[in-house]
Amino acid sequence: MSVSEASVEIFTIGEDNSAIGPDSVLVKRHIEDLATHYFKPLTRQWANPPIRFFNLRSQWEKDTAMLSSVTEIAIHPSYQQIIGMGPSVIPLILNEMTIKPGHWFWALKSITGEDPVQPKQRGRVKEMTEAWIHWGKEQNYLT
Amino acid sequence: MGERAKLFDMSEFIIKEAFPNLADQNLAVTSPKTPEYNCIAWAAGDMSAWWWPDANYQYFWPEEVPRNESLSAFKYLFENLGYQECETDDYEEGFEKIAVYRDMNNKITHASKQLRPGIWSSKLGKSEDIEHPFRGLDSNIYGSVALTMKRSNHP
Repeated sequence: MSVSEASVEIFTIGEDNSAIGPDSVLVKRHIEDLATHYFKPLTRQWANPPIRFFNLRSQWEKDTAMLSSVTEIAIHPSYQQIIGMGPSVIPLILNEMTIKPGHWFWALKSITGEDPVQPKQRGRVKEMTEAWIHWGKEQNYLT
Repeated sequence: MGERAKLFDMSEFIIKEAFPNLADQNLAVTSPKTPEYNCIAWAAGDMSAWWWPDANYQYFWPEEVPRNESLSAFKYLFENLGYQECETDDYEEGFEKIAVYRDMNNKITHASKQLRPGIWSSKLGKSEDIEHPFRGLDSNIYGSVALTMKRSNHP
């Protein structure tokens, strides 16, 4: 197995897929942190938008998992860095939304200046996600 | 142990790590993770939307309630749903109770609802619903209970 294959395998293990006891969560987190820095030095992460996006997303999801305040969720430093990546991150966010609904609406609105969500859809995450995916297809960000 | 039981076991570990007051408590994880509704919606009895008075006007908030993150706005929200402020978290037959949490920066963080004597229910952000003791969620993340309200459960 090559180094890159090893790193990919580590990063595709989700917490929910772990087959061993809860203590493994802590061990896995440490392994992920180590692997990130070993296999992907910071300079290479920053030069590669998808890698940077996925690392920032992972940190943001972990840190905001228990939060209800959309304001706190959106002002998280990782989320703000994703917004700061600008239009290059739009297809990455939209692709992410096709896989797993999440609170990307603030970021998309900030980056694009658009808001395809109708007032009656506010807060309805599935409908908001569908509205943005539809917008992404219209704008050729998604095929 | 089934796959679902294993997931809940893992979630319980992560939740107890986040909320130290739950460490030695019985904790029931009662739903899967979902980003589709939050604690405010859950306390208000709605599992179809994420409720928050965000300044970006992207999330659900009743039009008749001031759209700001103050305690008075959240109090008004629940008054609008028939609740009135009450003194105690004690279980009272014929009433349902909710609690609103505020952190040390005076920011509203969370809401929970009473299920039965000593047992409250919370939706934890994008994570699961849990059943917990009243003070179980006091923490750096949520702060502590700033307001307790009740309403008759007889329409």
